[in-house]
Amino acid sequence: MNVIVNKYKGLTSKSILLYTVIVICFVSSILFVNHNSTFYKQTVAKVTNIHLQEKKQVKDMHNNEDQIFTQSITAEIKNGKYKGKLVRLTNDYSSSGAYDQQYKIGNELFISIDKNSKKQKLTGSINDAKRDKYLVLVGWIFILTLLLVGKKRGLFSLISLLVNALLLSFALDFYVNHSYKSLVWICSILVILFTVISLLLLNGLNEMTYAAIVATLLGIFLTLLVTYVSIKFTAGNGLRYEEMQFLTRPYELVFMAGLLVGSLGAVMDVAITISSSVFGLYEKNGDISLKALKQSGMEIGKDVMGALTNILFFVYAAGSIPSMILYLKNASSLGFTLSMNLSLEIARSLAGGIGIMLTIPIAVYTSVYFVNQKRKRI
Amino acid sequence: MNALVVLSVILFILMLLIGGKRGVRSFISLFFNFGMLMLTIFLMLDPHMNPMIVTLISSAVISCINLFFINDVNRKTATAFLSTLITIVILLLFINIVSTVSMTQGFGKEQSEELATFSLLVGVDFAKIGASVVIISTIGAITEVAISITSSMGETLNHHPNISRKDLFLSGMRIGKDILGTDTNTLFFAFFGGYLALLIWFKDLHYSLGDIVNSRIFSAEMITIFCAGIGVALIIPITSWINAYFSVKAREKQEDVKTREK
Repeated sequence: MNVIVNKYKGLTSKSILLYTVIVICFVSSILFVNHNSTFYKQTVAKVTNIHLQEKKQVKDMHNNEDQIFTQSITAEIKNGKYKGKLVRLTNDYSSSGAYDQQYKIGNELFISIDKNSKKQKLTGSINDAKRDKYLVLVGWIFILTLLLVGKKRGLFSLISLLVNALLLSFALDFYVNHSYKSLVWICSILVILFTVISLLLLNGLNEMTYAAIVATLLGIFLTLLVTYVSIKFTAGNGLRYEEMQFLTRPYELVFMAGLLVGSLGAVMDVAITISSSVFGLYEKNGDISLKALKQSGMEIGKDVMGALTNILFFVYAAGSIPSMILYLKNASSLGFTLSMNLSLEIARSLAGGIGIMLTIPIAVYTSVYFVNQKRKRI
Repeated sequence: MNALVVLSVILFILMLLIGGKRGVRSFISLFFNFGMLMLTIFLMLDPHMNPMIVTLISSAVISCINLFFINDVNRKTATAFLSTLITIVILLLFINIVSTVSMTQGFGKEQSEELATFSLLVGVDFAKIGASVVIISTIGAITEVAISITSSMGETLNHHPNISRKDLFLSGMRIGKDILGTDTNTLFFAFFGGYLALLIWFKDLHYSLGDIVNSRIFSAEMITIFCAGIGVALIIPITSWINAYFSVKAREKQEDVKTREK
């Protein structure tokens, strides 16, 4: 008990204010997403009763066995002119759930009401599930875990994430509304802003950060050049853009832009890791030779290169698992499945890896240069 | 010539020049990881296999590749391995609940055109596969955080051989905080880059904020990002605690042996 009291006394008024703000945000956002149906134009209904109507075994042309269920649902309408009325819906779903969904009591759904249904006995069809409240809840678990583990550092990385996400959204709006502007140019400006904002928020205003920013920018644009030249040189042979063909835009450019943004995080990671250790060594020992600094910088680079390249590979490749399973289950050949689903992901991971490798020597030399400048001034 | 081959050759040459022997090992580990990913997918094709168990086993093998092959087998990597496994189990249980409750498995209606020629009733559980996707996309980052923490804690122990268990744990947490920011940053940008095409498409379709937030694809991807962040944060206290516990235990054992010898 005493420990808790002491801990409580140790809190400054600033942190009490911060905790209060967080609790208020948490409670109000949860309340909001649970009662926001009036803000939606589509009709929202909450499932109140479910009855399983039918269940049958099916086999498709590739001998995959599955089960199809039909449920009849009664739901209460939450908004619009039928608010408070009950509506009857039916829903088919399979046990695999690739493109359908089993609903449970308490789920909220977007529905359209049949035009010719009578007022006393409303019927309708389901458009989609309402997922916002789950998204907000998981988002809060994420925020709280980051704050709990990282404290102030966690807060800064959350702020940097939020600012970068907003920036990306604005930039894409700008691109969509001014299609004549090149996406690669927009992304290049974006990359500069992302780098400066993230690194300043993560590491503060100091020479170590400046060295990392310079190294990141040199590294990322060199990577873009190398990747662009290799793809142009091979005429994009082996890259299957089919998975992006829903875009009515030059998808090759969209792919390059995504590659630029995707590699940026890893490149920043290398740059800041190397510059912080080079500066750390210099601060510990002001007389350390430039050669020794370079050597240990390169060693740190060797430590991180494998791990970072693998991080990128898994982030990119994991997302294609469901569609690869679907392809293989539909008797597609392995070669076709791989090239349709993984070629772009592998190209992205390789480009990211190239970015990491190019940035290692760049970061070592820029950090050593900045250390040297600092030394001259003293 | 194939663009992927050219990019692989460039990456290999760079890794060889800059990393030497370790660079070659890192390059080979990419191939092993690719092989493990394919094996995981093949195991998941069997409807009688539980995708969660397949994921757990392949995460264990993948973290072996990332920890023991790229580095070496020693106490640091062994502790990192144990912490990774514990974190994966916790995360897997959490994500299993989340992906069932949030109804984000499978494919969205935006993908219907692409899927028109396929049979969708293939009998495997896409909710569990969705949970596996989240774990596998984070596994690289989780092992990386674990190994960074155990090796820095090893350094701390070398400099202060008499440090208490609690102080050692706190030093691990401090190191963890330092890398939390950069690691979440790396993950977020990788995800942003991967989803860029999709985001442009949502903007092209003039989706409202409500449409975007509730769509199956977008919420699945946001949940992946959130869970990846949770995983990277969760591994920090777990690794720090386990490593502090075992390091101090090993030291006490050594001291016991020494006093007995005297």
